[in-house]
Amino acid sequence: MSASAVVTLLLDPELWRLMLTMAAPLVLAGLGELVMERSGVLNVGVEGMMAVAAAVAFLTMLKTGTLLGAAAAAMAATLGLAVVLGYFAITLRSAQLTVGLCLFVFGTGLASLLYRLVIGVTTATPTVQTLPRLAVPGLAEVPFLGTVVFTQNALVYLALALVPVLAFLLVETSLGLRLRAAGENPRALDTVGVNVRALRYGAVAVGGLLIGLAGAYLPLAVTGAYSDGIVGGRGWIALMVVIFGRWQPGWALVGAILFAYTEALQFKLALVTKAVPPQVLLMLPYVVAIVVLVRLYQGAEPPRALGLPYERESRL
Amino acid sequence: MSGPPTRSTERLRLEAISKRFGATIALAEAGFEVRAGEIHALLGENGAGKTTLMNVLSGLYHADAGRIWLDGRPAEIAEPRDAIRHRIGMVHQHFELIPPLTALENVIIGQEGSTLLLRRERQARGVAALAARFGFEVDLRAPVAALGLADQQKVEILKAIFRGVDILILDEPTTVLTPQEADALLRTLRTMASEGLSVVFISHKIHEVLGHCDRATVMRAGRSVGTVDASATTEQALVEMMIGERVARTAAPAEREVDDTVLLRVDDVTVAGRGGLPAVSHARFSIGRGEVVGLAGVDGNGQRELVEAIVGLRRVTGGRVELGGRNVTTTAVGDRLAQGLAYIPEDRLGDGALPSMSVAENLFLGVHRLARGGGLTYRPAAIRAGAAAPVRDYAIRGTATTPLGMLSGGNIQKVLIARALAVAGHGDTPLVVAHNPTRGLDVRTTEFVRRCLVDVSRRRGGVFLVSSDLDELMQLAHRILVLFRGAIVADLPSTAFDAYEIGRLMTGAAARA
Repeated sequence: MSASAVVTLLLDPELWRLMLTMAAPLVLAGLGELVMERSGVLNVGVEGMMAVAAAVAFLTMLKTGTLLGAAAAAMAATLGLAVVLGYFAITLRSAQLTVGLCLFVFGTGLASLLYRLVIGVTTATPTVQTLPRLAVPGLAEVPFLGTVVFTQNALVYLALALVPVLAFLLVETSLGLRLRAAGENPRALDTVGVNVRALRYGAVAVGGLLIGLAGAYLPLAVTGAYSDGIVGGRGWIALMVVIFGRWQPGWALVGAILFAYTEALQFKLALVTKAVPPQVLLMLPYVVAIVVLVRLYQGAEPPRALGLPYERESRL
Repeated sequence: MSGPPTRSTERLRLEAISKRFGATIALAEAGFEVRAGEIHALLGENGAGKTTLMNVLSGLYHADAGRIWLDGRPAEIAEPRDAIRHRIGMVHQHFELIPPLTALENVIIGQEGSTLLLRRERQARGVAALAARFGFEVDLRAPVAALGLADQQKVEILKAIFRGVDILILDEPTTVLTPQEADALLRTLRTMASEGLSVVFISHKIHEVLGHCDRATVMRAGRSVGTVDASATTEQALVEMMIGERVARTAAPAEREVDDTVLLRVDDVTVAGRGGLPAVSHARFSIGRGEVVGLAGVDGNGQRELVEAIVGLRRVTGGRVELGGRNVTTTAVGDRLAQGLAYIPEDRLGDGALPSMSVAENLFLGVHRLARGGGLTYRPAAIRAGAAAPVRDYAIRGTATTPLGMLSGGNIQKVLIARALAVAGHGDTPLVVAHNPTRGLDVRTTEFVRRCLVDVSRRRGGVFLVSSDLDELMQLAHRILVLFRGAIVADLPSTAFDAYEIGRLMTGAAARA
């Protein structure tokens, strides 16, 4: 391939549009995780929660045919899982890493089970209609950007809109200030009369809803079908996106886009080149994840109370 | 600060407050009474229950029994927000601040003024006016992490008075301050008290209590022993109330056998710190036989780095360290120990001990190389037997098999001292490096630790004493070095000891001059 062909390939508007489509679940799950972590609760079960959401969303869609119902059912399911996480992490003060890992294993298994229970083992995979693309009138005609940004599905717009909203909320509102404080020094927040426990439960619930939407996105907007392993590590990448973004929504978006770009590129490369085995290309996003994170993890400062349960009367 | 400041009016009364933590009785029917407009000291040893009692008052701990009266009426304080509502504010010893947030955000959090948007500009004006009125000016836009301890304390006090307080509790407020800063704070508190504020001042420094407080309540072992007028009592009387018996003060080791043998020589040592700046730069000093050399400085000026460089835990980036004339700059810690270099780290449980292992095993640690009789294994029975003598000699409360973490801070420190002295006793160059060896200990254990260190020097060993307690340094050291931003800015003989002058040097007076 000539150099200009490579540039054309890398800057292909269709590739960039696919990138944003694939970035949306990472953004949604990443923001959900970010809200939780900012409050001091670590949730490493994102992958499992997304799997449950994907299964629930697909099955609801298949049975009822309503998109909103499917998304709502998925979000309700992950909200339930998030409350379980919250109960262990906040009320029982368990080790959050352990609870999160359990949630991952449990979620992955539960998703698979739900699908088997409803669909059974079939040769023909049932499918559902995926979310339609919505071209924004006027803006969709802008060269390059029009194709990339303004001919996406509704959830992509929602994910992109949430980034500045959350950034504003964290920095400019009282609630954001308290949320950040809960993750840094919950005792300081407690001594000024703010209910740390309620704040953390709230953050966990919001995080659970966003992660649920991210999981629902995969069958509803991308594949139109459910298969085990549909989440494919995106839950873990969402965790990395938070670290990449240094717990800032804007930078988390940049991280999500970077991972999504390599993912989209991998689809594209598989079509144009036969020289590289597709398995190697499939590996690409994960390789990028490792390389980027090894560099970035150094010096990244998580919220100081991240993963630490708060107990008022503990004498430490 | 409302109401007419009549001094004799009772503002607060705590009555028979009891509190247990598991099997430990922290408070046993403790109580006292505070008047409007007075500075009331709460005096006692560590573990006497002063902080616990005030945590009950500020709603952080829930008392098992007892009553709280405010202005003659019973008050229910179950949550921190109840205390705030009753206009009670507390400045904790270990500040309850959120380091990455700005000073302003730390002050206003929880009382942001509106539920939705933070109106920083408007809030900043109000807070700045409040700060100016009481002389607590700080850079409100700076993140708290970037402020010095004295400024962080101002933020804490602002946080309390911003909410409106009639009763301000300060837990050991002067420990992080230089003598000058402490005096300024105490003067300000006096002004505020004259306007009607009641101040509860937790301290274990008797001279502060006598010099600046109106009355003092002494606590011992969870009980209030009594309340006295500061003007009608003496230091000796307060000490007796605090500890219940007389304690012989360690005499300053004024006389010392002149001996030019150098145990430790630190020659032009530089240690890299965070962000490229050196944590220690070009440090140069030596310690002779029988000498106690003190290192003064505000915490975080490179003490830890210098000490760890000497012990071998941190890489030296320039210069050399000599132990008994031998260059040990790159020598492993174990070899330094074998020469007689012993280390008592500041963070007892973190750096100094294995909390879940037994007293005997902790005593054995570090000595294990020296005591090995050959073979690959250590016999547990021998380790336990070896602990019998130190447990007895150092009056360690516990047995050889007690997990170390179960002991109190004072007893843990005794284990570390016993071990350090054993290490020093084994080598040719006995040198004990002690970092804040008495921090957080009660009067009796403090005196014991100090006596042990003096004994090392009497037996012609050397002591490098790094301490944030100036009184301790002036009492024990033959010379005091002052560390400021990683550089040794002064080397003072005992004839030149002066708390104010050292305080000036600690805050960089020499560097500015």
